Amino acid sequence: MSTDFLELRGISKFYGNIIALTGVTTTVNPGEVTCVLGDNGAGKSTFIKILAGVHQHDEGELILEGSKVRFAHPRQALAAGIATVYQDLAMVPLMSVWRNFFLGQEPKKGMWPFRQIDIDEAKRIAKEEMAKMGIDIRDTEQSVGTLSGGERQSVAIARASYFGARVLILDEPTSALGVKQSGVVLRRIVEARDQGLAVIFITHNPNHAYPVGDRFVILQRGVSLGNWAKEELTQAELTQLMAGGAELEELQHELAEASAN
Amino acid sequence: MADTINEQSAAAADAGGDERLAHRGPIQTLLTRPEIGALLGAVGVWLLFWLVSAPFGTVGGTANFLDVAAYLGLMAVPVALLMIGGEFDLSSGAMTGATAIIAILLANDINGAGLGLHIAVPLSLAFALAIGWFNGTLVEKTSLPSFIVTLGTFFMLIGAKLGFSKLFTNKVLVEGLDEAEGYDFWNGIFGAEWLRNSHLWDTRKWSNLWLVRDEVWALLLMGGIAALMIGTFELTYARRKSPNVLAGAVAAAGAVLALVGLIYLLAQDGRTSQWIGGILVSAGVLAGVAGWCRWRYAAPTRDERGTSPGWWQYLVSGLAAVVVAIVVAAVMNASDSSQLGFLGGSFGKFVFALGIALVGVLAVVAALGRITPGYPALGAVLVALPSISFLITVQAARVILFGGLALLGIALLWSSARRVKPSVMVSGAVSLAIVVLAFFIQSEAASRKLRVELFTVLLLVALLLAASAVARHLSAVRTAAPPPPQFGRWMHVCAALGVAGVVVFTVVELADGDAILYSLISGAVKGGILAFVAYALGTLGRTLLTRDEGVGRALITTGIGAVMLSVASRLLFVTGSELDKICNIGTDGELRCPQTQFGVVVLSFLVFAAVGSWLLMRTQFGSWIMAVGGNKEAARSVGVPAARTKTTLFMMVSGAAWITGMLIAFRLTAVQADVGDGNEFRYIIVAVVGGNLLTGGYGSALGAGIGAVIWGMISQGIGFAQWNSDWRFLVLGALLLVAVMVNNYVRGRAEKAPTTSSATRPDKTEITIVVPAEPAAGAKEGQQ
Repeated sequence: MSTDFLELRGISKFYGNIIALTGVTTTVNPGEVTCVLGDNGAGKSTFIKILAGVHQHDEGELILEGSKVRFAHPRQALAAGIATVYQDLAMVPLMSVWRNFFLGQEPKKGMWPFRQIDIDEAKRIAKEEMAKMGIDIRDTEQSVGTLSGGERQSVAIARASYFGARVLILDEPTSALGVKQSGVVLRRIVEARDQGLAVIFITHNPNHAYPVGDRFVILQRGVSLGNWAKEELTQAELTQLMAGGAELEELQHELAEASAN
Repeated sequence: MADTINEQSAAAADAGGDERLAHRGPIQTLLTRPEIGALLGAVGVWLLFWLVSAPFGTVGGTANFLDVAAYLGLMAVPVALLMIGGEFDLSSGAMTGATAIIAILLANDINGAGLGLHIAVPLSLAFALAIGWFNGTLVEKTSLPSFIVTLGTFFMLIGAKLGFSKLFTNKVLVEGLDEAEGYDFWNGIFGAEWLRNSHLWDTRKWSNLWLVRDEVWALLLMGGIAALMIGTFELTYARRKSPNVLAGAVAAAGAVLALVGLIYLLAQDGRTSQWIGGILVSAGVLAGVAGWCRWRYAAPTRDERGTSPGWWQYLVSGLAAVVVAIVVAAVMNASDSSQLGFLGGSFGKFVFALGIALVGVLAVVAALGRITPGYPALGAVLVALPSISFLITVQAARVILFGGLALLGIALLWSSARRVKPSVMVSGAVSLAIVVLAFFIQSEAASRKLRVELFTVLLLVALLLAASAVARHLSAVRTAAPPPPQFGRWMHVCAALGVAGVVVFTVVELADGDAILYSLISGAVKGGILAFVAYALGTLGRTLLTRDEGVGRALITTGIGAVMLSVASRLLFVTGSELDKICNIGTDGELRCPQTQFGVVVLSFLVFAAVGSWLLMRTQFGSWIMAVGGNKEAARSVGVPAARTKTTLFMMVSGAAWITGMLIAFRLTAVQADVGDGNEFRYIIVAVVGGNLLTGGYGSALGAGIGAVIWGMISQGIGFAQWNSDWRFLVLGALLLVAVMVNNYVRGRAEKAPTTSSATRPDKTEITIVVPAEPAAGAKEGQQ
């Protein structure tokens, strides 16, 4: 059996008697994009929080590089190389790109008490890392607030990958963006994948997921509908599954009847 | 892997690279700084009072307004840092008085037996830090807005100050600091001051080197400005492949000529020598700059130069220059009896001069192509017509002479350079106008102040403008940022020299029998100067001898250091020429001079402003301050200890309040119970004037310092100018509003893209408006 980088086997989570998530099984590998699709309340957030170490799973197994793991704290997930880019992006808009990029982990030089940030180094690295994401920042001194939504997302992704992330979880990165900006972010996802990162892409939009995904997990009301590789599924099938499969057919049927009458 | 990255970035550069602007030079970078508006405002306010008041620009006047500014700025710097961190401390004003009262009460009055200052002073520090910690912890733990929490501490402090004062002394005045045990030691620290005239240059020792003795500050200032200018060129223009040796020789000759002219100017005092010296310096500088640019920088292509502006633009600029010259001459001549000349005349002339200034501004706007030239031309004619009535025959001849010269220069500019950037042409025309104005003032002004000082300043401004225009015309703008300077080993040599200097000079001072603090400061300053000289020489050598691209920033550092040294030596030492004027030798053979003093508060203020800026701009802590003020949740999620950062900031404010309190106590030796109350309002205003955002997340510690200097200049300048002080607050308020508006405008223009401040923190905007108003209203009543 080939060992997958990160494997989820029947992950479930209960809040008291509420079943938040049951039986999620999938694999995440470097250089692949695993898409997790679901409508509001489908359990996507719970899924992220288990992987990010905010919550712990109650059933099933989380296997990282062949050994079972359980993250008790976000720091443990980060240390294991699992970085999460949340929807609100964790950016400070009034601060410059390079300050945001290194916030909390500034490179330093000099002896105490004259220890200071190595600004030249920080700017150089930030510019380089952004260039790897395909964004040529003119001036890393420019504040993040002046960047577009897609560019901000790129800063967050570049930051995560620079600070040693091996698995990148993106929480609805396209939901607040326009059509063009969404395209930019999807391109970033592909670029992160090509750099050898394992990407988990959370979204409710199958049109965004299908072009970039290698593997799809669909959640509905806390239940995993399945785990497909891209070859096993067409975009139409994915859309239909996502929209509720049988329910949608029923609705179409009803509408057809209504218009016939 | 690497190949794909390169391909990707190359593709990205192809796709989006063309629209990108050239590398931003140091001037553009400076314009985006938050404190730029305050800096311009400070220069404007200084010029205003310098023009209208004789004593304002003197060393005594400077000491006077710096003292007021220092007491404010000492607090405004940490208050600004706290504001950037997203919080307010309304107890900061009351805290300054509280520490003073605690120190005096503990030292003297508890149960009749005092603890002495050796225990009381550190205890008051501990108290201040504890309150700061309490404020910070409470704000963090309860998530209440800081203005509510610190409003509580504010009132508690006011009450406690009054209560304890009455309880122990039965008075609202706590006094007797100078009777407390350990007074001499602590007074040596907090009560120390620099008596300017007691630290004379040793005139006998330097008597043969008159230039070094007298005008070392002027040479330092010019050298510093030159270093700043060349540093700016280095960062802005692209280097050429191989240096042009001939042009280098021209640059060297120009520098020598300028230096000769400068020395001649400083050595001679008279109208004719000013003419000759001024022309020598101008010719030297312009030739030097032209040679330097040809020697070092690539020439711009024809396209980069752009198109020449229309003929009318030159005509309008030239006309404005002539009109300004005519009117200034007329006004000056008409008011010869007034010592200051300028604003001494009637109200009508003042309005008239304002109208002229407006026409000049319109002319520049027209030259930039924003409005049609008809308006300023019409305005110029309208203003010029009545000015004829001011003229008398001798002046008419001079006007024709100067006007002719100005027009001739403009015609030369126009005909010789058909392909010149519009901005270069505007700079040239404006500098020509200023030169005409400067020489007119020089030949017409009655007072020495205008004749020498205003002339020099105007000539300097015109020269800088012209030099920058020459450089822009001759050099291609660089497209990428230069690499950082490679100074490693040399920096270590300088640091070692500095440390050794500090030790040696301190020991020498101590051996001379000076006090500890004085010896330490003096040793540190001298060691610092030694290290600076080494650094400046290293920079100069690197600039001239190597092909290191990164020397621009080092040059700018050198220039700033030289200008600061120049100002410091001008303020702290009596120059030889001053000695002859203000001092006299008594019958007993002793030298008697009027005393000018700088308290230790000024030194503390400068150190605070410098350290605060460094903390904010260069350290991890500074990044964290901006982050917790800008988006606390985001900062927390990437591992910034938000609570610790904010608590530290509160403790820094109360620690600074302790220093201020001690300085007040040792200056007055007796303290009113309400001292400092209501000042928190001023600290916040001054920080806002300095470019700090009320909503947090953005700002400048240096800006708060500059804001304090503006406040000091305005509040003292009104007195110096002998304006009716009843109107003081009206003027103060109006000028502050103007300062903030200029600040906002400049920042808005410089940033171009809108900031998202209001969008990101809507919850705080309405709160902050309430903050300063409430306690200040209450405090003001108590204070006055």
